[in-house]
Amino acid sequence: MLADMIESIAKILFIFGMNIGFFAPVLGWVERKQSAVMQDRIGANRADIFGFTVIGLFHSIADAIKVLTKEDFIPTGANKFFHTAAPFISLVPAIVTFCVIPFGGRYTLFGHDVNLVISDLDVGLLFIFAFSSLATYGAVLGGWSSNNNWSLIGGLRASAQMLSYEVAMGLTIIGVLMVYGSLKLTEIGVMQENFFRWGIFMQPLGFVLFLTCAIAENKRAPFDVPEAESEIVAGYFTEYSGMKFVMFWMGEFLEIVTISGIVTTLFFGAWHLPFITDQMLLSFFQFAGSNGASILAMLVNIATFFIKVIFFIWMQMTIRWTLPRFRYDQVMKLCWKMILPLSLINIFITGLVFLR
Amino acid sequence: MNKMTDIDQKKCHPMVGVPIEKLRPKQVRKNLELTLWESLYIFEIIRGMYITTRHFVLNMIGFVFKPKGQKRRIFTVYYPEEKVTIPAAYRGRPVLVTWKNGKEKCVACGLCEKICPANAIMIVAEERDGSDRYPSAYTLDMSRCVYCGYCEEVCPKEAIVMSAEYQGLAERDRSKMIYSKEQLLRSEESVKDRIEYIRRIYSKCSY
Ligand code: SF4
Ligand code: SF4
Repeated sequence: MLADMIESIAKILFIFGMNIGFFAPVLGWVERKQSAVMQDRIGANRADIFGFTVIGLFHSIADAIKVLTKEDFIPTGANKFFHTAAPFISLVPAIVTFCVIPFGGRYTLFGHDVNLVISDLDVGLLFIFAFSSLATYGAVLGGWSSNNNWSLIGGLRASAQMLSYEVAMGLTIIGVLMVYGSLKLTEIGVMQENFFRWGIFMQPLGFVLFLTCAIAENKRAPFDVPEAESEIVAGYFTEYSGMKFVMFWMGEFLEIVTISGIVTTLFFGAWHLPFITDQMLLSFFQFAGSNGASILAMLVNIATFFIKVIFFIWMQMTIRWTLPRFRYDQVMKLCWKMILPLSLINIFITGLVFLR
Repeated sequence: MNKMTDIDQKKCHPMVGVPIEKLRPKQVRKNLELTLWESLYIFEIIRGMYITTRHFVLNMIGFVFKPKGQKRRIFTVYYPEEKVTIPAAYRGRPVLVTWKNGKEKCVACGLCEKICPANAIMIVAEERDGSDRYPSAYTLDMSRCVYCGYCEEVCPKEAIVMSAEYQGLAERDRSKMIYSKEQLLRSEESVKDRIEYIRRIYSKCSY
């Protein structure tokens, strides 16, 4: 009982520390620095502590100090309750969805069975969809309650876009479910132990479609029409400042991490190294005793998982800084006229091949 | 090249931009219909990502292994730590040039005061030892100056030139931007390049 509690708390602390303490500030830095170097610029490098700039990393700290001391502004005529609630509604799903993503397998440590996922739900994938659609409310409410035309337009665009892509995203995943026959993410992870059973080989089209839908769902370029800076100021969060603005911003970054986590779990072999099964890893670390071997294998698996996650974060950042924004009708057309039929075709082909 | 910059002296061929015969406009595909390959998006996206990633990687390598004769591959200047060399054609703060003995060259003819489009200059002329004219007060209001360089162009004695100074031009208080003669005096040596340049340029223009 006590061991279970300690295990849960340790996992929760690890994931939340990783997400809020590491990924959120570091991604803010990466977004600035990567885009700068990519565009032959230098990027943020002025914030320093005793003359050390650490290639601009201190800008995250400077940002934190800035947002904490900034005025929290609520425009006149805004609905105070919803205006305050909207950033929370968009941040919480981004954090919560990570709790069903397994970041490691099952290990026996000191006679205790450790399963490296915060909550091993039977309907893990549905849980992710349920919560990521909740984030829509954050954008819509934020846009509606700000009493600002730009915000309203942004909110409307966000609602239409996110709802459309929700449908398509659900359909793209069905292929994966048909292949692995489970909604439980840990099971899907276990089944990808064999390199050639990774989702990318089973569902190459599904992967591309899912990634597109996920980026659109996250409202990032090239699908950033709800917050199109050049058209509608900042879209649904035009009227936000200080901590609330940062919550929208953090929600976006954490969703990048979550998307990368889902993509890794579904399509890129979760925590497995290619060609190396868990058993091989355990026997390789046999020299450290059975507990030591488990711990080392666990660390290797966690590292593998997060390296994959970081790769996909990097990929999403690159896409964001490479592509121009779609026009709004193009976004809709892409969803309903291309991705939806393609995902149906994908389901059909998968059915032919796998269900027989 | 137009008439103003076409100067018959060999030494000076100021060239602005790309010469017209070297301009070869790229062929632009006018039809906006995407080809099948492009409307698949994926491969074009990968091509775009390849370009940005190539820039990223080459720049990152350029930070570590510096290319020959350069500090880094990215040519942005880290401004306060590094500074660019200002070309002679640059018009910075107008300064008064002195003779070797520290006396100003200006003879208080008042031409610069007259030509200045922003009315930034104010001169009080006086006689020295019953022979030379000199400005007993030369006030330059830098909050009005537009850096046009007319004063330099009109001056018969090369007494006022546009120096390469570009720092410390802005102040929080406008009263600090009104310079007296003493603040503006510079030795001939420090503005040598600019004097050479104006001799070359202005002497050739016929009005
Ligand atoms: S540069 Fe132009 S504006 Fe400035 S003092 Fe000379 S003539 Fe006046
Ligand atoms: S034009 Fe030259 S010489 Fe005449 S007053 Fe101005 S600075 Fe002095």
